[in-house]
Amino acid sequence: MQKLEISEISAGYGGKEVIHKIDLKIAEPAIYIVLGPNGAGKTTLFRTIGGILKPFSGRITLDNTDLFNSKEARKRIAYLSHLSALPEEMTVFNALKYYADMEGGDVEHSLELLSVSDLKDRKLSSLSQGQKKRVSIGKIFLSERELYILDEPTSNVDPKISKEIRDIIIKLSKDKFVLYSSHNLYEAREIGTYLILIKNGELKFFDKMENVKIKQYRVGIKALNDISNLLPESEFDNGYYVVTVDNPTAVAKIINDLVHSGAGLTEVRELDNPLQEFFEGE
Amino acid sequence: MSFWQATMKRSVKLSRTYFIMGVLMSVFGTATSNMYSIIPADLLNIEGTSIDLMNNMPLASVSFLSLSALMFSMPVMMLFVFDKNTGVLEYLLSTGFSQFDVYAGYVKASSSLAIILLTFSNVLNTAIGIYMGTDLGLLATIVVLTFAVGLSGVLLGTVSMMAFSSFQKTQLGANQPLGIAIGMVPVLPALFAAFIFPSYALVIIISIAVVTLLISLGLLLLSGRLIPREKLLP
Repeated sequence: MQKLEISEISAGYGGKEVIHKIDLKIAEPAIYIVLGPNGAGKTTLFRTIGGILKPFSGRITLDNTDLFNSKEARKRIAYLSHLSALPEEMTVFNALKYYADMEGGDVEHSLELLSVSDLKDRKLSSLSQGQKKRVSIGKIFLSERELYILDEPTSNVDPKISKEIRDIIIKLSKDKFVLYSSHNLYEAREIGTYLILIKNGELKFFDKMENVKIKQYRVGIKALNDISNLLPESEFDNGYYVVTVDNPTAVAKIINDLVHSGAGLTEVRELDNPLQEFFEGE
Repeated sequence: MSFWQATMKRSVKLSRTYFIMGVLMSVFGTATSNMYSIIPADLLNIEGTSIDLMNNMPLASVSFLSLSALMFSMPVMMLFVFDKNTGVLEYLLSTGFSQFDVYAGYVKASSSLAIILLTFSNVLNTAIGIYMGTDLGLLATIVVLTFAVGLSGVLLGTVSMMAFSSFQKTQLGANQPLGIAIGMVPVLPALFAAFIFPSYALVIIISIAVVTLLISLGLLLLSGRLIPREKLLP
Protein backbone atom coordinates (compact mmCIF):
# COMPACT_ATOMS: atom_id res chain seq x y z
CA MET A 1 0.00 0.00 0.00
CA GLN A 2 1.24 3.46 -0.82
CA LYS A 3 -1.46 5.78 0.33
CA LEU A 4 -4.70 5.93 2.33
CA GLU A 5 -6.59 9.06 1.51
CA ILE A 6 -9.60 10.15 3.52
CA SER A 7 -11.28 13.07 1.82
CA GLU A 8 -13.95 15.14 3.57
CA ILE A 9 -15.52 12.09 5.20
CA SER A 10 -18.77 12.51 7.13
CA ALA A 11 -20.44 9.45 8.62
CA GLY A 12 -22.69 8.32 11.44
CA TYR A 13 -25.71 6.25 12.33
CA GLY A 14 -29.37 6.54 11.33
CA GLY A 15 -28.79 9.79 9.49
CA LYS A 16 -27.14 11.40 12.54
CA GLU A 17 -23.67 12.61 11.64
CA VAL A 18 -20.98 11.63 14.14
CA ILE A 19 -17.79 12.52 12.25
CA HIS A 20 -17.68 15.67 10.19
CA LYS A 21 -15.61 16.25 7.07
CA ILE A 22 -12.46 14.50 8.20
CA ASP A 23 -9.49 14.87 5.90
CA LEU A 24 -6.42 12.65 6.31
CA LYS A 25 -3.63 11.47 4.08
CA ILE A 26 -1.53 8.58 5.28
CA ALA A 27 1.45 7.69 3.18
CA GLU A 28 4.10 6.34 5.52
CA PRO A 29 4.08 2.89 7.16
CA ALA A 30 3.85 3.65 10.88
CA ILE A 31 1.58 3.49 13.91
CA TYR A 32 -1.01 6.26 13.81
CA ILE A 33 -2.46 6.71 17.27
CA VAL A 34 -6.05 7.89 17.23
CA LEU A 35 -6.97 9.66 20.44
CA GLY A 36 -10.07 11.38 21.67
CA PRO A 37 -12.50 11.41 24.57
CA ASN A 38 -15.33 8.86 24.72
CA GLY A 39 -17.94 9.64 22.05
CA ALA A 40 -15.48 11.69 20.00
CA GLY A 41 -16.05 9.53 16.92
CA LYS A 42 -12.97 7.27 16.91
CA THR A 43 -14.91 4.03 16.44
CA THR A 44 -17.14 5.65 13.81
CA LEU A 45 -14.03 6.79 11.93
CA PHE A 46 -12.55 3.28 12.17
CA ARG A 47 -15.79 1.66 11.02
CA THR A 48 -15.95 4.03 8.07
CA ILE A 49 -12.35 3.39 7.03
CA GLY A 50 -12.95 -0.34 7.56
CA GLY A 51 -15.83 -0.28 5.06
CA ILE A 52 -18.41 -1.17 7.72
CA LEU A 53 -20.26 2.13 7.61
CA LYS A 54 -21.10 3.80 4.34
CA PRO A 55 -20.00 7.44 4.51
CA PHE A 56 -22.71 10.11 4.20
CA SER A 57 -20.32 12.12 2.06
CA GLY A 58 -16.67 12.15 1.09
CA ARG A 59 -14.46 9.37 -0.16
CA ILE A 60 -11.85 6.97 1.19
CA THR A 61 -9.33 5.58 -1.24
CA LEU A 62 -6.60 3.03 -0.89
CA ASP A 63 -4.03 3.63 -3.61
CA ASN A 64 -6.72 5.55 -5.51
CA THR A 65 -9.26 2.68 -5.28
CA ASP A 66 -12.55 3.56 -3.60
CA LEU A 67 -12.54 1.53 -0.42
CA PHE A 68 -16.26 1.17 0.15
CA ASN A 69 -17.07 -0.06 -3.33
CA SER A 70 -14.12 -2.39 -3.89
CA LYS A 71 -14.13 -5.82 -2.26
CA GLU A 72 -10.55 -6.29 -3.44
CA ALA A 73 -9.42 -3.15 -1.62
CA ARG A 74 -11.24 -4.29 1.52
CA LYS A 75 -9.25 -7.53 1.51
CA ARG A 76 -6.14 -5.42 2.07
CA ILE A 77 -7.52 -4.18 5.39
CA ALA A 78 -7.71 -5.87 8.78
CA TYR A 79 -10.25 -4.53 11.24
CA LEU A 80 -10.24 -5.27 14.96
CA SER A 81 -13.20 -3.98 16.95
CA HIS A 82 -13.20 -3.62 20.72
CA LEU A 83 -15.48 -6.68 20.88
CA SER A 84 -14.10 -10.18 20.38
CA ALA A 85 -16.15 -10.87 17.20
CA LEU A 86 -15.66 -14.59 17.70
CA PRO A 87 -18.17 -17.45 17.46
CA GLU A 88 -18.10 -18.21 21.17
CA GLU A 89 -19.52 -21.71 20.96
CA MET A 90 -16.42 -22.85 19.04
CA THR A 91 -12.97 -23.89 20.13
CA VAL A 92 -10.11 -21.44 19.60
CA PHE A 93 -8.82 -23.40 16.59
CA ASN A 94 -12.25 -23.74 14.98
CA ALA A 95 -13.06 -20.07 15.53
CA LEU A 96 -9.93 -19.02 13.66
CA LYS A 97 -10.57 -21.67 11.02
CA TYR A 98 -14.10 -20.28 10.61
CA TYR A 99 -12.57 -17.00 9.43
CA ALA A 100 -9.69 -18.66 7.58
CA ASP A 101 -12.20 -20.68 5.53
CA MET A 102 -13.88 -17.47 4.41
CA GLU A 103 -10.88 -15.19 4.01
CA GLY A 104 -7.97 -17.57 3.66
CA GLY A 105 -4.99 -17.66 5.99
CA ASP A 106 -2.91 -19.81 8.28
CA VAL A 107 -4.50 -20.71 11.61
CA GLU A 108 -1.35 -22.26 13.09
CA HIS A 109 0.64 -19.10 12.31
CA SER A 110 -1.88 -16.93 14.18
CA LEU A 111 -1.98 -19.32 17.13
CA GLU A 112 1.80 -19.18 17.45
CA LEU A 113 2.09 -15.44 16.88
CA LEU A 114 -0.36 -14.66 19.68
CA SER A 115 0.96 -17.47 21.93
CA VAL A 116 -2.39 -19.21 22.12
CA SER A 117 -1.41 -22.61 20.70
CA ASP A 118 -1.94 -24.18 24.12
CA LEU A 119 -5.53 -22.93 24.11
CA LYS A 120 -6.44 -24.21 20.66
CA ASP A 121 -8.77 -26.97 21.86
CA ARG A 122 -10.43 -24.85 24.54
CA LYS A 123 -13.90 -23.42 23.95
CA LEU A 124 -13.92 -19.66 23.61
CA SER A 125 -16.71 -19.41 26.19
CA SER A 126 -14.35 -20.91 28.77
CA LEU A 127 -11.56 -18.37 28.21
CA SER A 128 -10.79 -15.24 30.21
CA GLN A 129 -11.33 -11.82 28.64
CA GLY A 130 -7.60 -11.45 28.07
CA GLN A 131 -7.29 -14.83 26.38
CA LYS A 132 -10.27 -14.05 24.16
CA LYS A 133 -8.69 -10.75 23.21
CA ARG A 134 -5.55 -12.56 22.06
CA VAL A 135 -7.57 -14.97 19.95
CA SER A 136 -9.55 -12.07 18.57
CA ILE A 137 -6.32 -10.35 17.56
CA GLY A 138 -5.18 -13.65 16.08
CA LYS A 139 -7.94 -13.52 13.48
CA ILE A 140 -6.55 -10.32 11.91
CA PHE A 141 -3.17 -11.99 11.49
CA LEU A 142 -4.53 -14.99 9.62
CA SER A 143 -3.33 -13.45 6.40
CA GLU A 144 -1.11 -10.51 5.60
CA ARG A 145 -2.81 -7.15 5.11
CA GLU A 146 -1.55 -3.70 4.37
CA LEU A 147 -3.67 -1.53 6.63
CA TYR A 148 -4.51 -2.59 10.18
CA ILE A 149 -7.33 -0.78 11.99
CA LEU A 150 -7.10 -1.63 15.66
CA ASP A 151 -9.72 -0.35 18.10
CA GLU A 152 -8.25 -0.64 21.60
CA PRO A 153 -6.28 -3.84 20.96
CA THR A 154 -4.77 -3.98 24.43
CA SER A 155 -7.89 -3.35 26.49
CA ASN A 156 -8.73 -6.18 28.94
CA VAL A 157 -5.30 -7.80 28.75
CA ASP A 158 -2.67 -8.01 31.45
CA PRO A 159 0.52 -5.91 31.18
CA LYS A 160 2.65 -8.84 29.97
CA ILE A 161 0.30 -9.75 27.12
CA SER A 162 -0.28 -6.09 26.42
CA LYS A 163 3.46 -5.66 25.87
CA GLU A 164 3.60 -8.74 23.64
CA ILE A 165 0.77 -7.36 21.51
CA ARG A 166 2.44 -3.95 21.30
CA ASP A 167 5.70 -5.61 20.22
CA ILE A 168 3.91 -7.45 17.42
CA ILE A 169 2.28 -4.24 16.27
CA ILE A 170 5.52 -2.25 16.42
CA LYS A 171 7.21 -4.90 14.29
CA LEU A 172 4.26 -4.86 11.93
CA SER A 173 4.37 -1.09 11.50
CA LYS A 174 7.80 -1.21 9.86
CA ASP A 175 6.18 -1.90 6.52
CA LYS A 176 2.44 -1.71 7.28
CA PHE A 177 0.02 1.07 8.12
CA VAL A 178 -1.52 0.79 11.58
CA LEU A 179 -4.39 2.91 12.88
CA TYR A 180 -4.52 2.35 16.61
CA SER A 181 -6.92 3.74 19.19
CA SER A 182 -6.19 3.53 22.89
CA HIS A 183 -7.16 5.12 26.15
CA ASN A 184 -3.75 4.34 27.57
CA LEU A 185 -1.81 7.56 27.04
CA TYR A 186 1.52 6.06 28.06
CA GLU A 187 1.06 3.28 25.54
CA ALA A 188 0.08 5.86 22.92
CA ARG A 189 3.26 7.83 23.47
CA GLU A 190 5.40 4.71 23.62
CA ILE A 191 4.40 3.22 20.29
CA GLY A 192 2.88 6.03 18.26
CA THR A 193 4.75 7.69 15.40
CA TYR A 194 1.85 9.95 14.50
CA LEU A 195 -0.99 11.34 16.56
CA ILE A 196 -4.50 11.85 15.22
CA LEU A 197 -6.76 13.70 17.62
CA ILE A 198 -10.53 13.54 17.18
CA LYS A 199 -12.89 15.67 19.24
CA ASN A 200 -16.63 16.09 18.71
CA GLY A 201 -16.33 14.23 15.43
CA GLU A 202 -13.76 16.65 14.02
CA LEU A 203 -10.09 16.23 13.30
CA LYS A 204 -8.26 18.52 15.74
CA PHE A 205 -4.68 17.44 15.27
CA PHE A 206 -2.63 15.29 12.93
CA ASP A 207 1.15 15.37 13.13
CA LYS A 208 4.16 13.41 14.30
CA MET A 209 4.09 12.53 17.98
CA GLU A 210 7.36 14.41 18.49
CA ASN A 211 5.66 17.60 17.30
CA VAL A 212 3.01 17.44 19.99
CA LYS A 213 3.36 20.71 21.87
CA ILE A 214 2.00 20.91 25.35
CA LYS A 215 1.33 23.78 27.75
CA GLN A 216 3.33 22.54 30.73
CA TYR A 217 5.55 19.74 32.02
CA ARG A 218 5.27 18.54 35.64
CA VAL A 219 8.35 16.69 36.77
CA GLY A 220 8.79 14.89 40.08
CA ILE A 221 12.33 14.66 41.50
CA LYS A 222 13.59 12.50 44.37
CA ALA A 223 17.02 13.16 45.88
CA LEU A 224 19.11 12.08 48.84
CA ASN A 225 19.50 15.72 49.98
CA ASP A 226 17.13 18.64 50.36
CA ILE A 227 17.14 20.26 46.93
CA SER A 228 14.34 22.80 47.41
CA ASN A 229 16.81 25.68 47.41
CA LEU A 230 18.30 24.44 44.12
CA LEU A 231 14.98 24.46 42.25
CA PRO A 232 13.28 27.51 40.70
CA GLU A 233 9.76 27.08 42.12
CA SER A 234 8.75 23.78 43.56
CA GLU A 235 6.37 22.04 45.92
CA PHE A 236 6.91 18.85 47.90
CA ASP A 237 4.28 16.22 47.20
CA ASN A 238 4.28 12.51 48.03
CA GLY A 239 8.04 12.35 48.42
CA TYR A 240 8.74 14.27 45.23
CA TYR A 241 9.95 17.80 44.63
CA VAL A 242 7.52 18.84 41.93
CA VAL A 243 8.62 21.38 39.34
CA THR A 244 6.34 22.82 36.66
CA VAL A 245 7.93 24.28 33.54
CA ASP A 246 6.64 25.19 30.10
CA ASN A 247 9.13 23.40 27.84
CA PRO A 248 11.29 20.27 27.81
CA THR A 249 14.52 22.30 27.52
CA ALA A 250 13.83 23.80 30.95
CA VAL A 251 13.49 20.28 32.37
CA ALA A 252 16.89 19.33 30.90
CA LYS A 253 18.53 22.41 32.36
CA ILE A 254 17.13 21.76 35.87
CA ILE A 255 18.33 18.15 35.85
CA ASN A 256 21.74 19.19 34.54
CA ASP A 257 22.11 21.83 37.27
CA LEU A 258 21.08 19.36 39.98
CA VAL A 259 23.58 16.76 38.80
CA HIS A 260 26.40 19.29 38.78
CA SER A 261 25.50 20.57 42.24
CA GLY A 262 25.80 17.06 43.69
CA ALA A 263 22.15 16.82 44.77
CA GLY A 264 22.22 13.01 44.84
CA LEU A 265 19.28 12.40 42.50
CA THR A 266 17.55 9.05 42.93
CA GLU A 267 14.57 9.44 40.62
CA VAL A 268 13.21 11.84 38.01
CA ARG A 269 9.77 11.20 36.55
CA GLU A 270 7.17 12.86 34.41
CA LEU A 271 4.09 13.28 36.59
CA ASP A 272 1.55 14.08 33.88
CA ASN A 273 1.29 12.55 30.46
CA PRO A 274 1.50 15.32 27.88
CA LEU A 275 -1.35 13.73 25.96
CA GLN A 276 -3.60 14.15 29.01
CA GLU A 277 -4.59 17.65 28.03
CA PHE A 278 -6.18 16.36 24.83
CA PHE A 279 -8.82 14.71 26.97
CA GLU A 280 -9.56 17.85 28.93
CA GLY A 281 -12.26 20.38 27.98
CA GLU A 282 -11.80 22.49 24.89
CA MET B 1 -16.60 -24.01 3.64
CA SER B 2 -18.82 -21.10 2.67
CA PHE B 3 -20.43 -18.74 5.15
CA TRP B 4 -23.90 -20.30 4.93
CA GLN B 5 -22.52 -23.82 5.32
CA ALA B 6 -20.54 -22.75 8.37
CA THR B 7 -23.65 -21.05 9.76
CA MET B 8 -25.68 -24.21 9.26
CA LYS B 9 -23.04 -26.31 11.00
CA ARG B 10 -22.79 -23.84 13.89
CA SER B 11 -26.59 -23.82 14.28
CA VAL B 12 -26.69 -27.59 14.63
CA LYS B 13 -24.16 -27.38 17.47
CA LEU B 14 -25.78 -24.36 19.11
CA SER B 15 -28.92 -26.06 20.41
CA ARG B 16 -29.77 -29.70 19.94
CA THR B 17 -33.07 -29.29 21.81
CA TYR B 18 -34.67 -27.58 18.80
CA PHE B 19 -33.57 -30.40 16.53
CA ILE B 20 -35.01 -33.01 18.85
CA MET B 21 -38.26 -30.99 19.03
CA GLY B 22 -38.28 -30.74 15.24
CA VAL B 23 -37.88 -34.49 14.82
CA LEU B 24 -40.55 -35.19 17.45
CA MET B 25 -42.93 -32.78 15.71
CA SER B 26 -42.38 -34.53 12.39
CA VAL B 27 -43.11 -37.89 14.08
CA PHE B 28 -46.29 -36.35 15.52
CA GLY B 29 -47.19 -35.01 12.04
CA THR B 30 -46.67 -38.46 10.55
CA ALA B 31 -48.86 -39.99 13.23
CA THR B 32 -51.59 -37.40 12.58
CA SER B 33 -51.36 -38.01 8.87
CA ASN B 34 -51.87 -41.75 9.25
CA MET B 35 -54.06 -41.81 12.32
CA TYR B 36 -57.28 -42.37 10.34
CA SER B 37 -55.91 -45.68 9.08
CA ILE B 38 -56.11 -47.17 12.54
CA ILE B 39 -59.44 -45.60 13.52
CA PRO B 40 -62.49 -47.70 12.66
CA ALA B 41 -64.28 -46.36 9.58
CA ASP B 42 -67.61 -45.90 11.37
CA LEU B 43 -65.92 -43.50 13.80
CA LEU B 44 -64.38 -41.46 11.01
CA ASN B 45 -67.61 -40.76 9.14
CA ILE B 46 -69.95 -39.64 11.83
CA GLU B 47 -73.46 -39.25 10.53
CA GLY B 48 -74.70 -35.69 10.42
CA THR B 49 -71.29 -34.02 10.35
CA SER B 50 -69.73 -32.44 7.29
CA ILE B 51 -66.19 -33.11 8.50
CA ASP B 52 -64.50 -35.80 6.43
CA LEU B 53 -61.74 -36.92 8.77
CA MET B 54 -60.53 -39.60 6.40
CA ASN B 55 -59.42 -37.07 3.81
CA ASN B 56 -58.83 -34.06 6.03
CA MET B 57 -56.59 -35.48 8.73
CA PRO B 58 -53.69 -36.10 6.33
CA LEU B 59 -54.01 -32.52 5.03
CA ALA B 60 -54.04 -31.16 8.57
CA SER B 61 -50.79 -33.01 9.24
CA VAL B 62 -49.10 -30.72 6.71
CA SER B 63 -49.09 -27.98 9.33
CA PHE B 64 -47.33 -30.20 11.90
CA LEU B 65 -44.78 -31.45 9.39
CA SER B 66 -44.13 -27.83 8.32
CA LEU B 67 -43.89 -26.66 11.91
CA SER B 68 -41.19 -29.26 12.48
CA ALA B 69 -39.10 -27.51 9.79
CA LEU B 70 -39.60 -24.15 11.51
CA MET B 71 -38.42 -25.65 14.81
CA PHE B 72 -35.48 -27.34 13.18
CA SER B 73 -34.24 -24.09 11.68
CA MET B 74 -34.85 -21.95 14.76
CA PRO B 75 -31.22 -22.11 16.02
CA VAL B 76 -30.17 -20.25 12.85
CA MET B 77 -32.44 -17.39 13.88
CA MET B 78 -30.94 -17.43 17.38
CA LEU B 79 -27.45 -17.46 15.93
CA PHE B 80 -28.10 -14.27 13.98
CA VAL B 81 -28.84 -12.33 17.19
CA PHE B 82 -25.88 -13.96 18.90
CA ASP B 83 -23.51 -13.01 16.06
CA LYS B 84 -24.83 -9.47 15.93
CA ASN B 85 -24.22 -8.96 19.64
CA THR B 86 -20.72 -10.45 19.69
CA GLY B 87 -19.56 -8.35 16.72
CA VAL B 88 -19.22 -11.25 14.26
CA LEU B 89 -21.52 -9.49 11.77
CA GLU B 90 -19.52 -6.26 12.12
CA TYR B 91 -16.36 -8.20 11.32
CA LEU B 92 -18.00 -9.85 8.30
CA LEU B 93 -19.00 -6.42 6.97
CA SER B 94 -15.38 -5.31 7.30
CA THR B 95 -14.24 -8.24 5.16
CA GLY B 96 -16.42 -7.12 2.26
CA PHE B 97 -19.78 -8.74 3.01
CA SER B 98 -22.85 -6.67 2.10
CA GLN B 99 -26.03 -6.72 4.20
CA PHE B 100 -27.56 -8.96 1.56
CA ASP B 101 -24.62 -11.41 1.79
CA VAL B 102 -25.13 -11.65 5.55
CA TYR B 103 -28.93 -12.09 5.43
CA ALA B 104 -28.70 -14.50 2.49
CA GLY B 105 -26.18 -16.62 4.43
CA TYR B 106 -28.57 -17.11 7.36
CA VAL B 107 -31.55 -17.67 5.05
CA LYS B 108 -29.65 -20.32 3.08
CA ALA B 109 -28.61 -22.01 6.33
CA SER B 110 -32.16 -22.09 7.73
CA SER B 111 -33.66 -23.20 4.40
CA SER B 112 -31.09 -26.00 4.09
CA LEU B 113 -31.87 -27.26 7.58
CA ALA B 114 -35.59 -27.05 6.78
CA ILE B 115 -35.07 -29.05 3.56
CA ILE B 116 -33.16 -31.73 5.49
CA LEU B 117 -35.96 -32.14 8.02
CA LEU B 118 -38.75 -31.89 5.44
CA THR B 119 -37.05 -34.63 3.44
CA PHE B 120 -36.82 -36.79 6.58
CA SER B 121 -40.46 -36.05 7.51
CA ASN B 122 -41.76 -36.83 4.07
CA VAL B 123 -39.77 -40.04 3.69
CA LEU B 124 -41.07 -41.15 7.09
CA ASN B 125 -44.64 -40.09 6.34
CA THR B 126 -44.68 -41.63 2.86
CA ALA B 127 -43.16 -44.92 4.04
CA ILE B 128 -45.64 -45.27 6.88
CA GLY B 129 -48.48 -44.07 4.62
CA ILE B 130 -47.69 -46.75 2.03
CA TYR B 131 -47.51 -49.38 4.78
CA MET B 132 -50.89 -48.25 6.12
CA GLY B 133 -52.42 -48.22 2.66
CA THR B 134 -52.87 -44.46 2.28
CA ASP B 135 -53.78 -43.21 -1.18
CA LEU B 136 -50.57 -42.49 -3.12
CA GLY B 137 -52.04 -39.33 -4.64
CA LEU B 138 -52.76 -38.00 -1.16
CA LEU B 139 -49.22 -38.83 -0.02
CA ALA B 140 -47.78 -37.00 -3.03
CA THR B 141 -50.00 -33.99 -2.26
CA ILE B 142 -48.70 -33.96 1.31
CA VAL B 143 -45.10 -33.95 0.03
CA VAL B 144 -45.75 -30.92 -2.22
CA LEU B 145 -47.74 -29.05 0.41
CA THR B 146 -45.26 -29.75 3.20
CA PHE B 147 -42.33 -28.44 1.19
CA ALA B 148 -44.28 -25.37 0.01
CA VAL B 149 -45.68 -24.47 3.43
CA GLY B 150 -42.59 -25.49 5.44
CA LEU B 151 -40.10 -23.62 3.28
CA SER B 152 -42.25 -20.50 2.98
CA GLY B 153 -42.73 -20.47 6.78
CA VAL B 154 -39.00 -20.87 7.42
CA LEU B 155 -38.11 -18.18 4.87
CA LEU B 156 -40.64 -15.69 6.22
CA GLY B 157 -39.68 -16.50 9.82
CA THR B 158 -35.95 -16.09 9.18
CA VAL B 159 -36.29 -12.86 7.19
CA SER B 160 -38.77 -11.32 9.66
CA MET B 161 -36.74 -12.31 12.68
CA MET B 162 -33.57 -10.81 11.23
CA ALA B 163 -35.43 -7.63 10.32
CA PHE B 164 -37.00 -7.29 13.79
CA SER B 165 -33.70 -8.03 15.52
CA SER B 166 -31.86 -5.56 13.31
CA PHE B 167 -34.27 -2.74 13.95
CA GLN B 168 -34.66 -3.11 17.68
CA LYS B 169 -32.73 -0.65 19.76
CA THR B 170 -31.77 -2.89 22.67
CA GLN B 171 -29.08 -5.52 22.19
CA LEU B 172 -30.80 -8.61 23.47
CA GLY B 173 -32.75 -9.58 20.38
CA ALA B 174 -35.97 -9.75 22.39
CA ASN B 175 -38.03 -9.14 19.26
CA GLN B 176 -36.82 -12.41 17.82
CA PRO B 177 -40.00 -14.35 18.80
CA LEU B 178 -42.04 -11.91 16.70
CA GLY B 179 -40.28 -13.16 13.59
CA ILE B 180 -40.87 -16.75 14.61
CA ALA B 181 -44.57 -16.02 15.22
CA ILE B 182 -44.77 -14.46 11.74
CA GLY B 183 -43.20 -17.63 10.36
CA MET B 184 -46.34 -19.42 11.58
CA VAL B 185 -48.52 -17.39 9.18
CA PRO B 186 -48.46 -19.88 6.28
CA VAL B 187 -48.48 -22.87 8.66
CA LEU B 188 -51.75 -22.15 10.49
CA PRO B 189 -54.03 -22.08 7.41
CA ALA B 190 -52.77 -25.57 6.60
CA LEU B 191 -54.14 -26.72 9.95
CA PHE B 192 -57.63 -25.26 9.58
CA ALA B 193 -58.30 -24.95 5.85
CA ALA B 194 -58.97 -28.66 5.40
CA PHE B 195 -61.72 -28.57 8.01
CA ILE B 196 -63.25 -25.14 7.29
CA PHE B 197 -63.02 -25.04 3.48
CA PRO B 198 -62.53 -28.70 2.51
CA SER B 199 -63.23 -28.09 -1.20
CA TYR B 200 -60.71 -25.27 -1.51
CA ALA B 201 -58.16 -26.36 1.06
CA LEU B 202 -55.49 -27.27 -1.47
CA VAL B 203 -55.79 -24.00 -3.37
CA ILE B 204 -55.84 -21.93 -0.17
CA ILE B 205 -52.78 -23.65 1.32
CA ILE B 206 -50.74 -23.50 -1.87
CA SER B 207 -51.73 -19.88 -2.58
CA ILE B 208 -50.75 -18.69 0.90
CA ALA B 209 -47.46 -20.59 0.68
CA VAL B 210 -46.59 -19.13 -2.74
CA VAL B 211 -47.50 -15.56 -1.70
CA THR B 212 -45.47 -15.96 1.51
CA LEU B 213 -42.53 -17.33 -0.45
CA LEU B 214 -42.62 -14.40 -2.89
CA ILE B 215 -42.94 -11.81 -0.10
CA SER B 216 -40.01 -13.39 1.79
CA LEU B 217 -37.79 -13.48 -1.28
CA GLY B 218 -38.75 -9.89 -2.11
CA LEU B 219 -37.89 -8.76 1.41
CA LEU B 220 -34.59 -10.63 1.26
CA LEU B 221 -33.63 -9.10 -2.08
CA LEU B 222 -34.52 -5.63 -0.80
CA SER B 223 -32.74 -6.13 2.55
CA GLY B 224 -29.69 -4.18 1.36
CA ARG B 225 -31.87 -1.14 0.74
CA LEU B 226 -34.39 -1.53 3.54
CA ILE B 227 -31.93 -2.24 6.36
CA PRO B 228 -28.87 0.02 6.75
CA ARG B 229 -25.50 -1.59 7.46
CA GLU B 230 -25.33 -0.03 10.91
CA LYS B 231 -28.29 -2.19 11.98
CA LEU B 232 -25.98 -5.19 11.93
CA LEU B 233 -23.59 -3.62 14.43
CA PRO B 234 -23.61 -4.57 18.11
